[in-house]
Amino acid sequence: MTDPKLPWNAHLLQRRMFLEHSATGLSGIALTALLADQGLLRGQESKDSTVSGKNPVRPEIDPSRPYASRAPHFPAAAKRVLVIFCSGACSHLDTFDYKPALIQRNGEPLPGADKLITFQGEQGAVTQSPWKFRPRGECGKMISDLVPHLGSLADDICFLHSVRGKTNTHGPGENFMSTGFTLDGFPSMGAWTTYALGTENENLPAYVAIPDPRGTPQNSVNNWGPGFLPAAYQGTDFNATKPIRYLTRPDSVSAQSDQRAREYLNRINERMLEHYLGDSELAARIASYELAASMQLSIPEVSDLATESAATFAAYGADDTSNPLKASYAKNCILARRLLEKGVRFVQLFNGAYQTGGEGVSNWDGHKALREQYSLHGPVLDQPTAALIKDLKQRGLLDDTLVVWCTEFGRMPTFQKGASGRDHNPEGFTCWLAGAGVKAPFSFGATDEFGYKAIENIVTVYDFHATILHLLGLDHERLTYYYNGLERRLTDVHGHVIRDILV
Amino acid sequence: MRFLTTSCIALAGCLGLLASLPAPCTAALQDGPDTATVDSDAAQIEERVRDLFTRKCFDCHGMDTQESHLRLDRRRSMLQGGDSGEPAIVVGDGTNSHLVALVQGKEAGRIMPPDESGRLSNEEINLLIAWIDAGAPWSSPNSEEQNDPTSPTHWSFQPLPNPTPPSINHSFIANPVDSFILEKLNEQGIAPNPIASKRVLIRRLYLDMLGIPPLPEEVLAFEQDHSPEAYTNLVERVLQSPHYGERWGQHWLDLVRFAETNGFETNRERPNAWPYRDYVIRSFNDDKPYPQFVREQLAGDALGVPEATGYLVAGPYDLVKSPDPALTMMQRQNELDDIVGTTSTVFLGLTVGCARCHNHKFDPIRQTDYYALQAIFAGVQHGERKFPISESTLLEINRIDEQILLLRDRLKPYLKNPQRHRPAVNAKRNVETFEPIKTTALRFVIEGTNSGEPCLDELEVYSQGTNIALQSLGTVATASSSLPNYKIHRLEHINDGRPGNNFSWISNENGKGWIQLDFPQASLIDRVVWARDREGRFADRIATRYRVDVVCDSGEWRTIASSEDRFPFPMPPSHELYEWNHLSAEESSLLRTSIDHLQSLASDRERLLNSQTVYAGTFEQPAPTHRLFRGEPTARRETVPPGTIAILGKLHIDENTPERSRRLALAEWISSPENPLMARVIANRIWQFHFGKGLVDTPNDFGKGGSEPSHPELLDFLAMYLLENNGSLKHLHRLILHSSTYRQSSEVRTDAMKQDAGSRWLWRFPPRRLEAEAIRDSILAVTSSLDRRMFGPGFSGFEVELENVRHYFPKTQYASTDWRRMVYMTKVRMEKESVFGAFDCPDSSISVPKRNRSTTPLQALNLFNSPFVLQQAELFSQRLERECGSDSLVQVRRAYGLCMGREPDAKELQDASQFIDTEGLPAFCRVLLNANEFVFIP
Repeated sequence: MTDPKLPWNAHLLQRRMFLEHSATGLSGIALTALLADQGLLRGQESKDSTVSGKNPVRPEIDPSRPYASRAPHFPAAAKRVLVIFCSGACSHLDTFDYKPALIQRNGEPLPGADKLITFQGEQGAVTQSPWKFRPRGECGKMISDLVPHLGSLADDICFLHSVRGKTNTHGPGENFMSTGFTLDGFPSMGAWTTYALGTENENLPAYVAIPDPRGTPQNSVNNWGPGFLPAAYQGTDFNATKPIRYLTRPDSVSAQSDQRAREYLNRINERMLEHYLGDSELAARIASYELAASMQLSIPEVSDLATESAATFAAYGADDTSNPLKASYAKNCILARRLLEKGVRFVQLFNGAYQTGGEGVSNWDGHKALREQYSLHGPVLDQPTAALIKDLKQRGLLDDTLVVWCTEFGRMPTFQKGASGRDHNPEGFTCWLAGAGVKAPFSFGATDEFGYKAIENIVTVYDFHATILHLLGLDHERLTYYYNGLERRLTDVHGHVIRDILV
Repeated sequence: MRFLTTSCIALAGCLGLLASLPAPCTAALQDGPDTATVDSDAAQIEERVRDLFTRKCFDCHGMDTQESHLRLDRRRSMLQGGDSGEPAIVVGDGTNSHLVALVQGKEAGRIMPPDESGRLSNEEINLLIAWIDAGAPWSSPNSEEQNDPTSPTHWSFQPLPNPTPPSINHSFIANPVDSFILEKLNEQGIAPNPIASKRVLIRRLYLDMLGIPPLPEEVLAFEQDHSPEAYTNLVERVLQSPHYGERWGQHWLDLVRFAETNGFETNRERPNAWPYRDYVIRSFNDDKPYPQFVREQLAGDALGVPEATGYLVAGPYDLVKSPDPALTMMQRQNELDDIVGTTSTVFLGLTVGCARCHNHKFDPIRQTDYYALQAIFAGVQHGERKFPISESTLLEINRIDEQILLLRDRLKPYLKNPQRHRPAVNAKRNVETFEPIKTTALRFVIEGTNSGEPCLDELEVYSQGTNIALQSLGTVATASSSLPNYKIHRLEHINDGRPGNNFSWISNENGKGWIQLDFPQASLIDRVVWARDREGRFADRIATRYRVDVVCDSGEWRTIASSEDRFPFPMPPSHELYEWNHLSAEESSLLRTSIDHLQSLASDRERLLNSQTVYAGTFEQPAPTHRLFRGEPTARRETVPPGTIAILGKLHIDENTPERSRRLALAEWISSPENPLMARVIANRIWQFHFGKGLVDTPNDFGKGGSEPSHPELLDFLAMYLLENNGSLKHLHRLILHSSTYRQSSEVRTDAMKQDAGSRWLWRFPPRRLEAEAIRDSILAVTSSLDRRMFGPGFSGFEVELENVRHYFPKTQYASTDWRRMVYMTKVRMEKESVFGAFDCPDSSISVPKRNRSTTPLQALNLFNSPFVLQQAELFSQRLERECGSDSLVQVRRAYGLCMGREPDAKELQDASQFIDTEGLPAFCRVLLNANEFVFIP
């Protein structure tokens, strides 16, 4: 929190008031100029500069307060988002997409797929899931024994069983799910969201990515990168064990000396500002040090799980000494809840890391030994994630928080030729939503009888993104940013809001 | 509702629309049915179709309105199609015509006409098919088939005029630039600022042109130089500084999305990509004419500058390959799209990439133009290319070798272990020299490796400069054993003259093995050269312990060289090899200097040896290029010959033109003085990097979707000036740097600010924050840590985990080898440098014409708390103590001079010295390195 008693904070407040209230003053003018400079005021009048023909809605960003909360385009169902991302491509056929045909036709060739070449090559036979599916919740949704805790939440979940991707490699697939493009270099969904909306608690990063305890996901920082948006909107990555780099005061400097250094820096910068009255960029830099100082207090506070009860630890499985990985991921889940509770706009929680020790060992990429590998991954994901959602619900946060569960693509109904695992399959897979603004229990779309291709109510990743933005009160066709010749969007030139799943 | 228009950046799957010029239609017409018999039928059927169109289509696709740019009342428009790039009709083939698919609703969930009530009946659809099958007869006046005569009307496509500067009399006007600027300022009723102080001028000039601040001595000298040439001399000095190329080369590297890893998930290194970076820096420093610079990057292999084509493949590359043919085709399309898109935006300011899936939404760029450009580059593949080592490089290597020998001799007495004095073995090249000895056989005996069975790619034995080990000269090789079943690892490769892992020998014994060479006759030998992999791709299986034996006259074997006198493997840090403790301070400093020198010689040698392998792409004659419907690799349409944007010009090449000549033809066309875009685009970029904002503020888009220039005549004047001065960028800099517009102060005037807060009309010089590289370099400069060595392999900001998928962990400790300018930091895609990356450093996936300048708390944390900055603050304080003694007032003056280029005033002096008294000098240094004034161009 900003303490106005501290001398630099007093300055900040004065300046903020100056910026906010003197629209006719120099600062107001300078601010307008800076917005124009950033292209934020560009094209208000030129309709045909966007592909959809709709006017862009430019967020009005005060450079001194890039994270200030901003109004959505229309009233929003969700105030904040939690994305749970299973890296490595989590099989829909072993979790949420029940296909009796896989049991009935187990061991037979996949009809019409004898010549099919997928990512790693030829197909073996149709293979039923090693895990039994059972009806869950009051709705009786069939969900597998791999994820029983998540299964118990069936009544709270809106399943999308017909998601279709457009690439079958992990890097481009994770890019696609997180940024809407298979290529590197585009802004992530969280970057778009915080660019548009800022955040409710400026003393914490607006957008936090929580990597798996084993490391970053397959496509690493691209999943929370700013692309061509200003760096202010990139995700800040830290988790329960790996804090933000350079957050803390250097050991060699005492707290008192550190504060005096800050005050001194502030005096120097204020003097310069006197010579450049109204320069927003200089003022923004002063403010950024103040914000950094607040974060030095608020981030350790929000990351400190010591205040959580033993019951909470037990509920999440964070005390599970028999499974340290699960306990570690569970702590990340607790951290996610604490961040959401404090008003962080966008939290991206990863389950699964980049490849180490072979395929599928550290993530959901079960090519060769699905049963063995998923037997390890399932328990890590299941209880902690379910506990997180229950906790959000219990605290009333699910009312205005959107929970998104996703992965880069699905897996094949067949085992790979000569192997005991499933190859990549972007033709049809499952993602799900829960919380603010979505129907639950609800299942939307379907794959064919084997779960190979989406055939009913196909949901493109663009549709998925358009819907998430819609729930946040954002029109995906009007949330644009001019770059290299185009008003760019999260959804490129595609995407339709899936109205059927909205409350 | 109407045909939705789409546009997209890259991938297939753009929703489809109507279309382009089909190759088949003329042929179909010629082979059409006998005209005599169909005449009357034709007239009838045409009338019915015309009636159908009138009722159902002309409202949106007629003379007055053309949704999706499709017009159905003219034959040529039907043949050409609308925005989709697809011909609306394929004459003679009704069922496969796009128009028919659309009325049938077979195109991606789209059905025409959109109103349900207006839908065509089956009978009407059949009529349409029959009409097209019958040759789609269409009587005058709209029957002609040639395209519209096209003349581009957009401003940036017009030939360059030679604008006369407005004649205004004003003391502000130092050169024509100012006349143009002042004219607009007068229109706005804003007066320009006065000329800035000399102190500000020199600081601005250094930061803008060199990216590091001037020394206090340089500031003082300039302030005291009252000669009329003082500023001119300063500008010349700055333009001659080698730092100029490092600073402006970085701008170029941003534009061409240069990085030294592949990106995507594996993000593997490109260890030989740096020669392109050096080429860029040298080109700027040498003031290479810009048109030549353009040509070399597109076709340097034909122009004696092979490394320049590093440009073509500077972008990301997906290494993950699959047997899935659809994926493979898409990856290839993406690679080519990167080259086409970057080339058109960087050199032409046109977003041709938008025409990958359909005709360009805003500009007269057709889908066929996109594929014509793709055909130019269709033979370019990512990868390294080997160039022969030049004579001059060989001479330089020999000269360095002599110096190294000399230095080693001199250092020998200080070795901890005098027995070990030769460099440790390495993977790429090891030389054993010895007194000439006559022998008939030589044996290379391996006693230890760094891992696994040993591998040698080639064993060379020299007799008076000739490698007598070659099979071709009759030498016979035998071995203790050879790894079975690998074609690439065979005994015969040991002396086949072919380097690299693919032509190597591996023993079948873990950690040991030997090779024997029997020469055809007794020879006097003096040198053996051996390596694990001369191409440097592998560094496992290195023979770390070995000996070289030869057979004597007596028949006994005698050891003539071995690893016994080499430093251990891996090589410990150099200074650890020497004994220091007993030396005087003076001696030990001398010793250290010599060791440093030795190291820098060794790295120079390494660089020269490597300089023949460059990540500059490989070239092959490509198969014909097809237009792809909706950009989908599987939806091939007609072939498209290599060419350029039709409305702007023509290249005189065809499908049979050799690959290199295609690129050369495009290079000539782009760089031709007749092409107004090249000069306008680069002149605008140069202006932008000086002032922070271009005259056109969409620097990569000079099309209709981009902005119009704020000063169109000035832009044309600058472009013309560049061409008239042989494309010399330094001439253009000179012109701009001497203008009052550039030299005016940046101070704020309330009146002007109210009218033009963004300084668009340039009533002041717009101050701005430095970019990441310049902040880092400036820190190193003021703390006197900056290592000014230019060129060669870069240094890394990361510790790299060598998994299949590379992982980059930021360094936590830094040594002087990390303190070169940041342009030499190995540029890793995706992962940003941990301290400075947060200052809007691009990740090099796409061309960045203008960096963002955002301000974030993470930047503040990085600069205030990172070990890098704290270490530099410490070094800064040491420098101040060294230069100023312990008087804090003197220290503060010096620090202000170094960081701000000025004297502190009394209040600042007092505040600073009080702060030093309580918090210490390093704390003061830490604050100064964080100050706004330090990181701003004034």
